[in-house]
Amino acid sequence: METLVFQGLVGLSVSMYLWLLAAGLTIVFGVLGVLNFAHGSLFMLGAYFTFTYYGLWGVNFWLAIALSLLSVAVVGYFMERFFLRHIYHLDHAYQLLLTFGFILIFDDAVKMIWGGVAKIPPMPSFFEGTVSVVGRPFPFYNLFIIGTGLAVAIVVWLLFEKTWWGKMVRASASDREMASAIGVNIPTLFTGVFVFGAMLAALGGALGTPVRVVAPGIGAAMIIQAFIITVIGGLGNLKGAFVGAIIVGTLSAYGILLFPVFELFLIFLIMAVVLMVKPQGLFGG
Amino acid sequence: MTESKKISRRALLKAATVAGIGGMTLGLSKVGEAASPKEKTPAQTKSKKKILGVDVIKVGGQGVISGAHADYGWQIQAGAILAIDEINAKGGILGSKLELKFMDEELKPAVAVKNARYLATEWGAHLLFGVDSSGSAMAIGPILPELDRICVFDHASTHRLTEELVYGKGIKQIFRIAAPVYQESNMAALIFKDFPNIKRWAGIHCDYEYGYSVWALFKDTLKKYRPDVEFVSIAWAPFWTMDFSSHISAVMAAKPDAIIATPWAGEGVMLLRQALMLGVFDKIQAWFQCMGGSVDILEGISREVAAGKFKDKLWATARYIHNYPDAPENNKFVASFRKRWNRFPNYSAESAYSTIYVFKAALEKSRSLKTSDLIKAMEGLKLMTPAGERFFRPEDHQAIYNVPGGRVVIDPNYPIPILGDLKVFPAQAYYRNPPFEALKMDK
Repeated sequence: METLVFQGLVGLSVSMYLWLLAAGLTIVFGVLGVLNFAHGSLFMLGAYFTFTYYGLWGVNFWLAIALSLLSVAVVGYFMERFFLRHIYHLDHAYQLLLTFGFILIFDDAVKMIWGGVAKIPPMPSFFEGTVSVVGRPFPFYNLFIIGTGLAVAIVVWLLFEKTWWGKMVRASASDREMASAIGVNIPTLFTGVFVFGAMLAALGGALGTPVRVVAPGIGAAMIIQAFIITVIGGLGNLKGAFVGAIIVGTLSAYGILLFPVFELFLIFLIMAVVLMVKPQGLFGG
Repeated sequence: MTESKKISRRALLKAATVAGIGGMTLGLSKVGEAASPKEKTPAQTKSKKKILGVDVIKVGGQGVISGAHADYGWQIQAGAILAIDEINAKGGILGSKLELKFMDEELKPAVAVKNARYLATEWGAHLLFGVDSSGSAMAIGPILPELDRICVFDHASTHRLTEELVYGKGIKQIFRIAAPVYQESNMAALIFKDFPNIKRWAGIHCDYEYGYSVWALFKDTLKKYRPDVEFVSIAWAPFWTMDFSSHISAVMAAKPDAIIATPWAGEGVMLLRQALMLGVFDKIQAWFQCMGGSVDILEGISREVAAGKFKDKLWATARYIHNYPDAPENNKFVASFRKRWNRFPNYSAESAYSTIYVFKAALEKSRSLKTSDLIKAMEGLKLMTPAGERFFRPEDHQAIYNVPGGRVVIDPNYPIPILGDLKVFPAQAYYRNPPFEALKMDK
């Protein structure tokens, strides 16, 4: 029993990176109707910017994360304002082509700027140490990640449910033309939503910098899991992304513990079952 | 793709420049020709004066040069360029200069095969070498007869490459210069059979060919010496695992005495750091990081080693380590490598460097670029290299030489950790020998 609790907690901390990535992906799809393949690249850029500010320039860790979010926000702004905006009226296939192109561009840009070799910055010393959980040492950093992930979930929920901006976003998500008719500036709103999603991805990447590999290609590696999560939870559904991320993160952790031989296959099996029983995802509809 | 093009272009320009300078200073003829090999097609480079019939011997290499494992590809290129420049500066091989083109295999067998075809047929490589991934090696091996080229594998380490493809299927174009998985599996078993208190072993392994063979061989060999040992848990991690916490906590749940782990390069560094975060080194007696003797890992964990966080429980080996052997060939290689690149060579640099010298020795013996002549020249070839004397066993084309294992320690003479407390075993004690018994693998 202790083993299961501990493994679940480790899985929960892994889930939080996935949640931060899937949240932006699903928000952008829900509101803009764009399936952004390059969303993982924004996660990667968040990691690289943090590495640069914190690992190379020696900026304070928290400030480095904030600067990295702003940097990715700028990248997201350019992506939406000058590229995606022009293809909203086109078929999904064009969006996939464009955003897939962005993956290649970002991956190669990262290789040109930072090189192909993985970056491994030092751990901020205030995060070292462990807390005892069911008698086993649990890293303080993982606890911090779980806390951050939950806090982001609450903030995002409040933002969309309780604020004027959130109401406008939800209105334009359900009926773009009607929202526009009652005076919502749709293009500006869409840019804002896209930038917000990009910053969530960047936060995931930034938080992983001291403990995970920073390398070209991590975005593409992560985006597949994010897609599985949104399929399980329901595309465009925020609650679905949160629950989906926890399902994928913790079940992979349990898979590694209990079924090491076919752990990789487990996630796809769950996705297949969800698609068969509820094709629109657990919370889709 | 841009990366591989950029690097190969740079390497090529550099090789061309050095070839030109070497030609001038040594008073050799045809400086102009050697300085611009790029503009010539292979047909035009033929010259009756050269023994090998070509002005330029084209060498096509591959390795992983992007992602978490990219330092290996960098090291392969650095080692190969160093050897090529040394040889070209002395006039080349039998009067022909060497030219290198290096491509990114991306750890993907399909990419590696595409590269090999491109290098051999379009670019016109006379000789092939490289690849980091065992999967890529197993994919390239079978197409070599069709390409009619030999390929010297300088890193990919699955035993199946030489046991099954060369010895079993008779694909004679395959040679391997680096120690195979016998190194980190059988030799690790020889080290740890002498630790009577370590009875419960766990594994954290790569979820591909490499991890499967290491785990199978390690268990097999250790069990022969120590029937009392148990293998209590195993976790498999695929390429692109960024978070090993679930794997570490899963194997720690079985309360092992020791852990053997295969993830390599950047992934190996993150695995060790995450193990420290999870307090693993307070609980276990030893951790064997298979390729932990590689320079990128030693650099990546140097802060933690210096702070004593591994509590002297971290052990490792590699297919060559820069502080062994203490012989003139090795000391000279390490010094020139550091002078040229301002870093220590890891084993893939040494094996790439030695590969170029094996080409030289084989070509000087065969005096021909024909694949069948080269195979004859390389079978049974003995050559002094930085890692010691290598002997290419004719049965399976595997180079035989020994590399020790040891504890990861700080030495005041080195800026990064080294392997100390070295355990040296003769290669015969841990290499598998033909006829090979098939190995049962878990996955």
